[in-house]
Amino acid sequence: MKFSYSWLCDHLETDKNATEIGDALTNLGLELESLTDYSSYSKFVVATIKDFHKHPNADRLNICIVDDGTKTYQVICGANNVKKGLKGIFAKDGMYIPGTQIYLKKGKIRGEISEGMLLSERELNLSDDHDGIIELSDNFENGTSAIDALKLNDPVFEIGITPNRGDCLGVRGVARDLSAKGIGKLKPLKYEKITKLDFESPISWNIENDNNSCEYVISRYFKDVKNTVSPEWLQKKLISLGLRPINALVDITNFITHDLGRPLHVFDADKVGKKLHMRLAKPSEKILALDNKEYTLDSNSTVIADNNNALAIAGIIGGESSGCTEDTKNVFLEVAIFEKDSVAKTGRTLGINSDARYRFERGLDKQMVIEGLNYASYLINKICGGFVSKNIDSGKLDTNERKIKYKFDYFEKVIGIKLEPKKQIKILKDLKFQINQSNEKECDLLVPSWRNDIENNIDVVEEVIRIYGYENITESIPSPSDDEIVKINNSLINKKFKAIKKLKKTLISNGVSEIITFSFHSTKAHEILSGDKSLKISNAISDDQSFMRNSMIFNHLETAEMNYKKGYKNIQIFEIGPIYNTSQSQENILSILMSSQENTNSIYKSEDFNFYSISNLVSRLISSLNFDAKQFNISRSTSNTFHPGQSAELNMGKKLIARYGKVHPLIIEEFPKLKNSYAIELFFENLPIDSISRINSTNILDSQFQFSEKDFSFVFEKEQNLFEVQRYVNGIDKNLIKNVEFFDLYESKDLGENSKSVTFRVTIQSKDKTLDEKDLEQIHNNILEKVSYKFKANIRT
Amino acid sequence: MDIKKVLNEATKQIERCSSQQELQNVKVAYLGKKGKITELLKSLKDLSLEEKKSTGAKLNSLRTDIDDLFKNKFNGLKVKEINSKLRNEFLDISFPPPNSIPSKVHPISKTFDEVISIFGSMGYSVAEGPDIETDYFNFSALNIPENHPAREMQDTFYIDDTDKDNKPYVLRTHTSPVQIRTLLNEKPPVKVIAPGRTYRCDSDSTHSPMFHQVEGLFINENTNMGDLKGTLIEFCKKFFNVQNLKVRFRPSYFPFTEPSAEMDIAYEIVNNKIHLGTGDLWLEILGCGMVNPTVLENCNVDTKIYQGFAFGVGLDRITMLKYGLTDIRSFFSGNLNWIANNGFSIGDY
Repeated sequence: MKFSYSWLCDHLETDKNATEIGDALTNLGLELESLTDYSSYSKFVVATIKDFHKHPNADRLNICIVDDGTKTYQVICGANNVKKGLKGIFAKDGMYIPGTQIYLKKGKIRGEISEGMLLSERELNLSDDHDGIIELSDNFENGTSAIDALKLNDPVFEIGITPNRGDCLGVRGVARDLSAKGIGKLKPLKYEKITKLDFESPISWNIENDNNSCEYVISRYFKDVKNTVSPEWLQKKLISLGLRPINALVDITNFITHDLGRPLHVFDADKVGKKLHMRLAKPSEKILALDNKEYTLDSNSTVIADNNNALAIAGIIGGESSGCTEDTKNVFLEVAIFEKDSVAKTGRTLGINSDARYRFERGLDKQMVIEGLNYASYLINKICGGFVSKNIDSGKLDTNERKIKYKFDYFEKVIGIKLEPKKQIKILKDLKFQINQSNEKECDLLVPSWRNDIENNIDVVEEVIRIYGYENITESIPSPSDDEIVKINNSLINKKFKAIKKLKKTLISNGVSEIITFSFHSTKAHEILSGDKSLKISNAISDDQSFMRNSMIFNHLETAEMNYKKGYKNIQIFEIGPIYNTSQSQENILSILMSSQENTNSIYKSEDFNFYSISNLVSRLISSLNFDAKQFNISRSTSNTFHPGQSAELNMGKKLIARYGKVHPLIIEEFPKLKNSYAIELFFENLPIDSISRINSTNILDSQFQFSEKDFSFVFEKEQNLFEVQRYVNGIDKNLIKNVEFFDLYESKDLGENSKSVTFRVTIQSKDKTLDEKDLEQIHNNILEKVSYKFKANIRT
Repeated sequence: MDIKKVLNEATKQIERCSSQQELQNVKVAYLGKKGKITELLKSLKDLSLEEKKSTGAKLNSLRTDIDDLFKNKFNGLKVKEINSKLRNEFLDISFPPPNSIPSKVHPISKTFDEVISIFGSMGYSVAEGPDIETDYFNFSALNIPENHPAREMQDTFYIDDTDKDNKPYVLRTHTSPVQIRTLLNEKPPVKVIAPGRTYRCDSDSTHSPMFHQVEGLFINENTNMGDLKGTLIEFCKKFFNVQNLKVRFRPSYFPFTEPSAEMDIAYEIVNNKIHLGTGDLWLEILGCGMVNPTVLENCNVDTKIYQGFAFGVGLDRITMLKYGLTDIRSFFSGNLNWIANNGFSIGDY
């Protein structure tokens, strides 16, 4: 909300300057967002055009002789309102012009010297007006500062009002809050009540109230008014808010909206019927509003209507057809209480953000209904003349006084500091709470009518500390308890974050960089990766972000492509974040993308990524979390993200632990530059990171006796799972078989289409002795026999 | 027989050798089965016992001397030969290595870990909740009923799917729903933080449709607003690594806390750079407050016994401030050059 210092002083008697008031506003929770101060404009001064003549080389330019009171200057000016004797605002060589953001420099314009500039309002950031240079109406002396000449000694505050403080959406409310903080004294509202109400209003009300959206409405009819341009004081106030003055009747309602926070509406009485209704809109009923847009209403919206047409959208905006213009002769003023949810809903549905809606949906001061009516009547009558009718109303104004039994010691419990009841009462009285009864422990409070947000003890505590000052709260740091430390150590989520940290360290030391991409998918990615339909975002900003992602691989390919275009050939990236299976199922996973281009460096040769190098990285990542990848069940991945023949998944029971391999060529079609791309998805949340027993790897040679190595070659069926073979061989003699290392795979027509030859080396060692020939032969034979029997494999010689 | 002469002759012959093979031939000529020394030793058998003794000793000494000469020469030749072989194995050590981009951890990621660690040292364990939330958890349970103007403060993304209350799912606009989830699952005392992704439909240089927050919640029998102030000041001192930290708490409004506050930290511009902790300008860092009793009641917490505070910090914002980064969108650009320049390598991490 915006208001000027002088406007505030209409309501507040204070000796504080603008900066002090700004600080106080922030400390009250009415955060100062900006304070516009024109003090730097004192360097611009009033000057007179003593003479001028046409520029010899430019039709539209004039050469003016300008007197600033101390000296005369030659100024080239292009304005069309140049005339002899004009008094304007003058800027000299070297001065900064705020509107154009440039420093003036003396120089020649089309061959003629120019020593300064006569300014327009836009060049001073006062308005958008650039039709001509400023013409001062008053007869200021040359050399008078622009601040005095333009009356810019009125700083403008802009404050942020939180949704609970509807009471501060009028300057008077702000003044009231400041007075409670001791920043000044609230002045009484100055106006005369009109007592001569000598005829009945020819227009009357009917609240149909189908959904209780209008509680009360009161009106007066103004006969024979003369709608004119508003007086200067009123225009200036509106301009200080950035509003454009329209005509007196409209300006008065805008003024009261911002001065008292009380929206009201004026109808041109000759453009509406004799009976006005508060009713629900008919389905698809249309109205052309004062913003010149046509709105189609639904039957949840309340309208003000005569017997024929909707005339206004209740609490939000008036209709164009019944608005007041300069020809308006008779006026019907409406002051109503609309239910805030109903206004909020209609406003949101129609997308109208009006000053009225803003105030209604935050709740109004019900006692301001009559005050607003009287104040508006006074102003209309004073500015536009005419006669004022008696009141005509409908509905019942329920002032619903709120009473609270407040316990003083609740303040200390919540805030942590002691504040004597006497001091608390003083603060509450300053905030205009009525204290009906009090003892040392508690009091009965009557909440001020404008504070719809205060309902219970905690609300009162907040009010007291708000005025007392947050800076007076003594701070303390609660130290962690033993229970809390134990809880952290046992917390599964804490353990998960530790695991994530290990993964990150492993990855960056393997040359993989961390990125963070949006949790979204484009429509295209969603379709290609067959995302669930429940992942669609209804109000997406763009097509690129219209679904929640069910994989990170597409985002990472996009990232890789973008980096490829920047010249990066080998891209190794990872992200730890969420993917979504459905709207109700989220998994946090690690996703890695490795994409390499052909390596042309003949000196520094590096292997391209392939399935096995990726598989090796998976194994290292899993072992960084103290698990052994080989303990999991391996199978071909069925995910359509991966190449069906060059991808795998590791499962533990039914839980997916990892999925990795070459990205499916159909996806790569979208990224033709990234042919050799591999991805890993590690579902670390499925790992039992909580289990105490860490899985030790079996290949630790810790015996002092000699070990022996023996190679075995078998011909297996082609689809034989070698993880199973390895686990089986390891288990043949747990005491002696220390390590089983696969190192060769051979497929050929000689072996038969459905066969593969596999070689592995077994390390044999005893804890107790050096094994002799006989011992070794026994175990070798045991391996040969058992493996060939178990897997129907042929021994290869 | 002149032993000295033999030794001189052998020495000359050994020295003349220029290869191991040549040397081997000479060695055989002296020490081989039919070599000179061997022959001489064989001839001992014809001498008298006394002569045998004295000549034998001399001959043995000669054999040792010659053997040493061979060994020394042999070693010398070996070093020479290897050295001459190595001369052919010289590589161009100046061939420049390929330019690789350093792999780094994302700044936000580092902030996550720091936040968990700092609050961990204060006794906070980590909690979490889903990004796709119900209307109830994201709004209603937090005392933000439908049509409440506070909903308009947060531009919400909606999902094309409805929950059991027949309300569309939302992308959580803040991490605050984790407060509700935690309180429904655990009995007080509760002391948790919940870092995570949050979403609002907003996009410019200071807003991103996705950003990160950390929620904090501390509920027990007597936690008060002084504790809230102390905790958050301590966090900022540790996170920004500033001991003299000028801060300001000012009243604000959040439907789920009361009294509510926003915390600002002072800053000034020194040499065109933001310097945090001192100065007359203020930067908004976080929102916080005492948990509104209505919220606790929504979670079946007995407000006659329990109270506490909650806070929410924008992690992207504090990361930007700490490292002097200006455009939140670059966080999510995936630009490897940006990561390399602004991320953290394993030593810094």
